[in-house]
Amino acid sequence: MQRAIPFEIFRYVVILSLVAISLVPTLWMISMAFKPIAEWSAAGADLTWWPRNPTLDNFRFIFGQSSTDLIVALERTAGRPIFASLLTATFGTLIAMTAGTAAAYGLSRFGQGGNLPLALIQLRLFPPMAVMIPVMIMWSFLGLIDNWFGLSLIYGIVTLPFAFWLMKTFFDDMPREIEDAALVEGCTRWRVFVRITLPMMRPALASSALFVFILNWSDYLIALLLTTRDWATIPVYMASLSSSMTGQLYGAKAALGVIAAVPPIIMGIAIQKHLVRGLTFGALKE
Amino acid sequence: MTKVSTIEPVAELTDAPVKTGARLGLWLTLPAQLLVLFIALFPILMQVYISLTDWSPLDGIPWWRAHELWTGLLNYADLMADSRFWGALWRTFFVMAVCVPVQFLLGLGLAVLFVDDFRGKRVLYSTLLVPMMVVPAVAGYMFFMLFQSGGPVNDLLSLFTSDPVRIAWLSDPDLALIAVMLADIWQWTPLMFLILLAGMISVPQDQQMAAILLGASWWRRFFTIVLPRMKSIIIIALAIRVIEIFKIFDTLFIMTGGGPGVATETISVYIYKVTQQELIWSYVAAIALAILIVLSVVSVFAIKRMQRGQGT
Repeated sequence: MQRAIPFEIFRYVVILSLVAISLVPTLWMISMAFKPIAEWSAAGADLTWWPRNPTLDNFRFIFGQSSTDLIVALERTAGRPIFASLLTATFGTLIAMTAGTAAAYGLSRFGQGGNLPLALIQLRLFPPMAVMIPVMIMWSFLGLIDNWFGLSLIYGIVTLPFAFWLMKTFFDDMPREIEDAALVEGCTRWRVFVRITLPMMRPALASSALFVFILNWSDYLIALLLTTRDWATIPVYMASLSSSMTGQLYGAKAALGVIAAVPPIIMGIAIQKHLVRGLTFGALKE
Repeated sequence: MTKVSTIEPVAELTDAPVKTGARLGLWLTLPAQLLVLFIALFPILMQVYISLTDWSPLDGIPWWRAHELWTGLLNYADLMADSRFWGALWRTFFVMAVCVPVQFLLGLGLAVLFVDDFRGKRVLYSTLLVPMMVVPAVAGYMFFMLFQSGGPVNDLLSLFTSDPVRIAWLSDPDLALIAVMLADIWQWTPLMFLILLAGMISVPQDQQMAAILLGASWWRRFFTIVLPRMKSIIIIALAIRVIEIFKIFDTLFIMTGGGPGVATETISVYIYKVTQQELIWSYVAAIALAILIVLSVVSVFAIKRMQRGQGT
């Protein structure tokens, strides 16, 4: 379709300005992360857009190296929270994907579990805050507060709807001829699922797992309620990077923010074409 | 012998696999069913029970003995009269009423600009999606920095004034709410854009071509052909944002902590504060249950709508 040149100019002006707005907050944080303390401390109100003397001090600081300019040393370094975030998000993804994939296959092929689609949409609708009291009581009864497994388990449940719906749409799309052929060959249903269907679905499984991982990695509220110290995740730990004595440790927080923000952005771009499917529960497949 | 060997696979196909399939299907759905039961049934029963008492974790008795502190429906009566709760609810709806339309219109406008091909489309598309992939808590921290009185937002505004602008965004009740909404719009307009663009692309071309041949203007085609065909997608996109804004917590809580005062206290922030700071868990259970009941009723309608939408 031919469009007039003024329209093309209009289009680029609008899009490029929105691209700029999209990027500026993230770039600002990245810039802060590389600024030495003199450039971000509360006293130096004169903030610049680019670091004048770029440094890795902020990153060294959160990993425990005491800074020459900053008198405070960290009681806890960022290593443990990063590990906690990685472990709980991974294990939560494993739980959601295992239960979700199995259930999706059961429904897609054998029509079992017809109540699940609706139940899982409802699960997604409810604010986590509205079911956290019983969860906190149950978890403390089971000794799962501030415990990696406790956090992973709730992550697995919260993201189960996404894993289930994504995999269901992928199974629904998959042609059944190959499975039928294997059945005629004398394979059992279980063998067909494990040896033929799952290997064929590897790309779909990978995309869904990444999608679920991003969701788990992005959590703040649940970790805030269920962890206190040992298994505090990155966002929970981040809040501890300020105190009445030191004020906001802007640079250190920005450095940690960069570490937290980069993985989901890369993963998100990698699975871009499945984002719509995941977010709309398969109502729209791109 | 030959006869038997030809019949055998047929018998297997028609009879046995269906039965084993059904059994396997049950086994496969079992873990998900158990997880849903685990998170739905028991917690809700527990919530009903606790909400009828005056129990809090500070009372020194385990939750199952909460009936010793039985108060009946007192928590629910308190809830009706709790102005802070209604204020938080009203504020949540206010944020929703501002953010959802803004995100929708921006997303729709962007989708229109992206629907046909142009140079650099793929890269610009990916770049525009970045905000929604930023961890919300980190986004909260970014905007916390941006809105400091010496921060870049004020620097930008200073370009247009003679004196340097030093607005304390996050400590002014009205401005704090605006800042929080701006952050939400920044982060979630891409989601609207993503869904609406996918919906717009899936609108079949035939009718539009016919309309072009008949000389219909672009606006006319857009409002009479494209938008009506996107109806179910638009409903889904709006529903997702309405649901998510109802839960709004991470970004907002990190930016303002619900403050100054209660100026940005939404329903999730309010529940969080009563849970963590005031520790009146029985009352929280009552609030949560009330919300769950209302949401269940609303969601049944919404889901029916969405399911009908999927067919078209």
